[in-house]
Amino acid sequence: MDNLSIYLKLGWRNLWFHPLRTVLTSAALAVGIAALTFLSAMDDGWMQQIKTNFALTVTGHIQIHAAGFEDSRKLSQRIESPEQVITSISSEAGIQAIAQRVRVSGLASSAGSNAGAFIYGVEPEKEKAISRLASFVNKGSWLPDGDERGAVLGDVLADRLSVAMGDKLVLMAAVPGGDIASEVFRVRGLLHSGVMEVDDMIVIVPLKTAQHWLGLGGAVTDIVIRADSFEQVTPMADGIKSMLSAQVLNGTDHKGLSSGQILETLRWNDIDPMAEQWADFADAYTWIVLLIVIVVVLVEVLNTMLMSMHERVREFGLMGALGVMPAQVFAMVIWETVILVLIGGLAGFVIGGGLSLWYGQQGIDLSQFAVAFSFMYMDPVIHPVLELDSMLRILGAAIIGAMIAGLIPAWKASKLEPVHALREL
Amino acid sequence: MSDTLISASGLTRYYESGEMKVAALAGVDLTIERGAYVVLAGRSGSGKTTLLNMLGGLDRPDTGSLVIAGDDVLVKSTSERAAFRLHHLGFVFQSYNLIRVLSARENVAYVLQLQGMEKKERFALADHWMAEVGLQGFENRRPDQMSGGQQQRVAVARALASNPDLVLADEPTANLDSHTGESLMALMRRLNEQQGTTFVIASHDPAVIASARTLVNMQDGQIVSVEGKDIEAVKGDTVS
Repeated sequence: MDNLSIYLKLGWRNLWFHPLRTVLTSAALAVGIAALTFLSAMDDGWMQQIKTNFALTVTGHIQIHAAGFEDSRKLSQRIESPEQVITSISSEAGIQAIAQRVRVSGLASSAGSNAGAFIYGVEPEKEKAISRLASFVNKGSWLPDGDERGAVLGDVLADRLSVAMGDKLVLMAAVPGGDIASEVFRVRGLLHSGVMEVDDMIVIVPLKTAQHWLGLGGAVTDIVIRADSFEQVTPMADGIKSMLSAQVLNGTDHKGLSSGQILETLRWNDIDPMAEQWADFADAYTWIVLLIVIVVVLVEVLNTMLMSMHERVREFGLMGALGVMPAQVFAMVIWETVILVLIGGLAGFVIGGGLSLWYGQQGIDLSQFAVAFSFMYMDPVIHPVLELDSMLRILGAAIIGAMIAGLIPAWKASKLEPVHALREL
Repeated sequence: MSDTLISASGLTRYYESGEMKVAALAGVDLTIERGAYVVLAGRSGSGKTTLLNMLGGLDRPDTGSLVIAGDDVLVKSTSERAAFRLHHLGFVFQSYNLIRVLSARENVAYVLQLQGMEKKERFALADHWMAEVGLQGFENRRPDQMSGGQQQRVAVARALASNPDLVLADEPTANLDSHTGESLMALMRRLNEQQGTTFVIASHDPAVIASARTLVNMQDGQIVSVEGKDIEAVKGDTVS
């Protein structure tokens, strides 16, 4: 501990022996670390937005279907007794809300036009606790209780169909037997989510009406779950999967199966891997930028340390003559490098963290790119988020980089022969 | 009964200069007893600094043997020689003797810290030695805030603070004016007499030579004469 204190003291004082050089190197480091911190916080903010928007706009955190439905989207693959499935999974910890849906692709027609549509039959009140669909309604109202013929649709789709509040809307879709069935609804509300896929395509109708119209009886296509947090999604999905498989294996069929089919339990990122792939891509991109910045900055650190080492050759020789071990000289130079990186790194964290917190509150308005962002479930206003993992990653990379940058001068200093070093001018 | 501190036998050291081999030391036998105050004198290139570096474990001879304080120095590894220097030797060099970023007190205490002495104890000892070399009140000054003579006095304080068996000084007055040089020599001589610490000093400065209790004259890598007492060297010159 006493040796460490002399390393730190010597390191600190040697750095400030040339204050301008230290300030310039630290400033370069600070700018690099600040940029990384801010970039990382923006990336984390983005990712949180994408995940949250993707999961809560429509999808929910977890969906249970009859096996194969997510790929086929055929009504023949449906959950016959959803209530029993819900009863058996409702004891799983961390479930905030559960709702049933019927989901089918079809055709929406108005008096003047028609368009392809994603038709969702939902339980209006329960749906409010699962997705943000109800909150996106900006004209008219969400599906009122008891209104069996009400429909809410995306505002872009409404424009294409030229329908307004109260207008008639005919929906057509294939029923399980293959026939086409149609049903008449009245437009009660229009929604705008900012997500193109939703605003262009979605039509939401009451679940019971959809079940009746499509000949499903009490069956549904989706049981949708909202978890308390993202962290709970994977363990919860695993728990539900094993619970449902055990029931099948034990022969205590919960009658949620249709014709011997088993159920599939999918997380939000299984349903559409795009969001996760985008997150992975952004993560990889951040790593590459991190690597580049760290390399550039550490070349600067290496340069500073080599200069410092060369002007102190006699001092290292003197230390060696006095009895300082080569390993101690090595450690001393490494500590000096770490101190230099910590000065710049901490300043960078303060600047980058401060900017991230401030913009986290204020948001960064990128609405001029809103259309492009809507594909990615991104809001036009980004709120950077400081995450501990990311901060530790940057700090770790900086310190490891400092060690690497310090290795060459430390090795050179430790290998100096005192008798030769003392002759240096 | 003699108390031998240094026993060197047949020390040779060659340097290559182009295709020539130059003998910096050409078979030196030397015995020095504890408490001696020896000056190695000779012109530039006579081999006195090379011999001093050998005695300090800073350089290795090509042939020969060297035992200091009962330890065979030449069989030790680099780290073992560093540890040996830390615990047995003190150094005073010609210039750039101090660590630039440490105060005078910290410079003196540095070796003590490496030896594992507690802070309070080492600072008290450092202050004692600062007073011994006449630098009381200079404890917190950095090297660049002191004169060359004061810096050399701090180096002497550092060399003696760890209570070494042997203090080696290489041209300690070379960068000092004559008055300061004489004052430094008087200090080292006084400390030798009071503390009984063995000093071996390499110099061609007349003031240093004049301060010697034993003078070893070197020429072309060999000892050519020994004057005074305390030393027993080759060629039958014996000093007791």
